[in-house]
Amino acid sequence: MKYARVYAEDVRVGDELPPLVKGPIQQIQLTRYAGASGDFNPIHQDDEFARAAGMGGVFAHGMLSMGFVGQAITDWAGPAAIRKFGVRFAAIVRLKDTVTCRGRVLAKSSKDDVHLVDLEVWAENQRGEKVVTGKATVALPSRG
Amino acid sequence: MPIQINKAVVGKESPPFVVTVERGRVKEFARAIGDPNPFYLDDRVGQASEWGDIIAPPTFLTTFRDGADSATFLRELGTDISRVLHGEQEFEIHRPIRPGETFLCRSRVVDVYEKTGRSGPMAFVVRETAVTDPTNEIVATIRHITVIRL
Repeated sequence: MKYARVYAEDVRVGDELPPLVKGPIQQIQLTRYAGASGDFNPIHQDDEFARAAGMGGVFAHGMLSMGFVGQAITDWAGPAAIRKFGVRFAAIVRLKDTVTCRGRVLAKSSKDDVHLVDLEVWAENQRGEKVVTGKATVALPSRG
Repeated sequence: MPIQINKAVVGKESPPFVVTVERGRVKEFARAIGDPNPFYLDDRVGQASEWGDIIAPPTFLTTFRDGADSATFLRELGTDISRVLHGEQEFEIHRPIRPGETFLCRSRVVDVYEKTGRSGPMAFVVRETAVTDPTNEIVATIRHITVIRL
């Protein structure tokens, strides 16, 4: 079930998050993301500008892909679960690309009734190439 | 001829800026990502939740920027937007953000270093932004690495 509550006791190291498939990326989504985020770099909107900049055409905001990965994490852990979330933008996401977001439990810890789970997270395109790699820490509720 | 990046910006703090979180902007940000989570979008679900209102998606913190500042900052670095890529991004989040809240953001450059990658020489500019609420509690820390193709 989507948005089901995950409890710290039910999570095991090595568990995988349900994959989240986003896209295919369309120009209109990049335009909409520019407006929503305030990042109006023409490299994501204007093909001629992006070519002149040596990028071979427009590509998606890295932060859009990070937003996709964030969605995969919060779908699983809850909308306010993320304590730390860091990524590296490993490759460019182009128009028509499909982005699949994944994650895996690396470690668990509990201290003073706070239950933290460390995740390895990443996103890959339709060719299986990683476009985003990173880590996140989420706080989960306890059954106790 | 590669461009020279002005490393004197390290340690420099930008003028602090204030952000007020708008309800419509939170929802539009979630929609732009294509995230239908009702805790971001549905006022009634938000009111009934433990937070008492809708909350912002985690990466909404990326909207905490000073629009007037970015072109000036790139000029100061000795570059322009056509050479800039986003290298890395990190958020430390201490609590959720709700519409109507006002925050103070203080940004500074913590490091500038150069590396040669597959596509040639690049400079990395590391910036940190501390987000605090009116009681001076830290709400989030944003770490942004800009890559400049030299």
